[in-house]
Amino acid sequence: MISKTTYSEQELVALLQQRNEKAFGYLYDNYSGALYGIVNSIVTDKEIANDVLQNVFVNIWRKIESYDPSKGRLFTWMLNIARNASIDEIRSKGFRDAQKNQSLGENVDIPGSVTGPVFDDVGLKKVLTKLKTELRILIDMSYFQGFTHEEISRALDIPLGTVKTRIRSALIQLRTMIQ
Amino acid sequence: MNVQEYISSGIVEGYVLGLVSDEERNEFEKLCLQYPELLQARTAFELALEKQAMENALSPSADLKDRIFTEINAGGKILPMHTAPVRNLNWLKYAAAACFILLAGSLYWNISLYNKNKSLKSNYDNTVARLNDMEKDIQVLQQNPSVKMASMKGLDVSPQSYATVYWDTTSHDVYLLTNNLPIPASDKQYQLWAIFNGKPVDLGVFDIKKERLLIQAHNAQGAEAFAITLEKKGGSPTPEGTMYVMGKL
Repeated sequence: MISKTTYSEQELVALLQQRNEKAFGYLYDNYSGALYGIVNSIVTDKEIANDVLQNVFVNIWRKIESYDPSKGRLFTWMLNIARNASIDEIRSKGFRDAQKNQSLGENVDIPGSVTGPVFDDVGLKKVLTKLKTELRILIDMSYFQGFTHEEISRALDIPLGTVKTRIRSALIQLRTMIQ
Repeated sequence: MNVQEYISSGIVEGYVLGLVSDEERNEFEKLCLQYPELLQARTAFELALEKQAMENALSPSADLKDRIFTEINAGGKILPMHTAPVRNLNWLKYAAAACFILLAGSLYWNISLYNKNKSLKSNYDNTVARLNDMEKDIQVLQQNPSVKMASMKGLDVSPQSYATVYWDTTSHDVYLLTNNLPIPASDKQYQLWAIFNGKPVDLGVFDIKKERLLIQAHNAQGAEAFAITLEKKGGSPTPEGTMYVMGKL
């Protein structure tokens, strides 16, 4: 049964800081889907994405004290936890090894996948498809794969200044696309 | 500075999405306190992003909520973070106290082990010395073909008692090995007798506490048996006390 109670963000944060499980249940019911969407756009394996989301919520529960409302909304804070946890996962050795094995298997089954991966974009990634490719790659690398500007500069052989300018430009466009 | 220009530079989106450097983030946070319109722009993008994410929500596994609650109940409530600093101080105090107690205990243990070791070593040295003496005595007895041996069995008063007499037929010396005799009261002493034609002859008193168990006596030529009685300290001219062991040759 889903509770009819609604909380203001302030109330919710206060209750979470008191370790109120009912408020935490409400948080899960209302935000797990949105956060899972983000996790899923970075970690495509469903089982691993669920494990990551579990860690995300456990971390929200444990680290709620470090949430500072003056620096952003609760959802923004949770979104960043979800994104960072997802990027940590895809950068972990275990995940990379699993992907290596998987992609070998896929290459056998679908030879066409070598020429270009099939995108099944949802959420923010879908928004990104509206960006020009050169900007889209930059957002994908920085937001969804967690590369620093320096790493992107080296990887794409583009001057660091250009990487920064293009990411800013992509972000400006992103705002109008989202709104 | 031109706030509008700053707002439309992409910094707002970069900040919210976590794509700015530490320097840029610190500057942005400072400016947010200063310029309400910047804060407003940030909140607007956050709400738009949240709305977009809500619209693109996906369902995680049905059992995930239970899994999360199980995990947080297993460990999450034990150490609430706001009390952690206080607890940490207490913990350190107790840990320091515990360390001190452990150290003191360990020192005491070491010292007592050292003392115990020392006394064991001295006991061991004494025992080895006694054993060497006994071995020398026994060697003397065993290498001499004229030595006869008589075991003296415990009598009714002390059936566990047991002594051995070695008797040299050429030198007429007698050696007594008190294998097992009860320790006498302080005013009593054991006395060894040689029996000639049924009559006991005094061979002297002895203390079983002596380092050497082997006791030498003389003038036992022609003895047919030996006996040990418990007499008053200093001995008696004729046996008066209880006989403990007796053995015939």
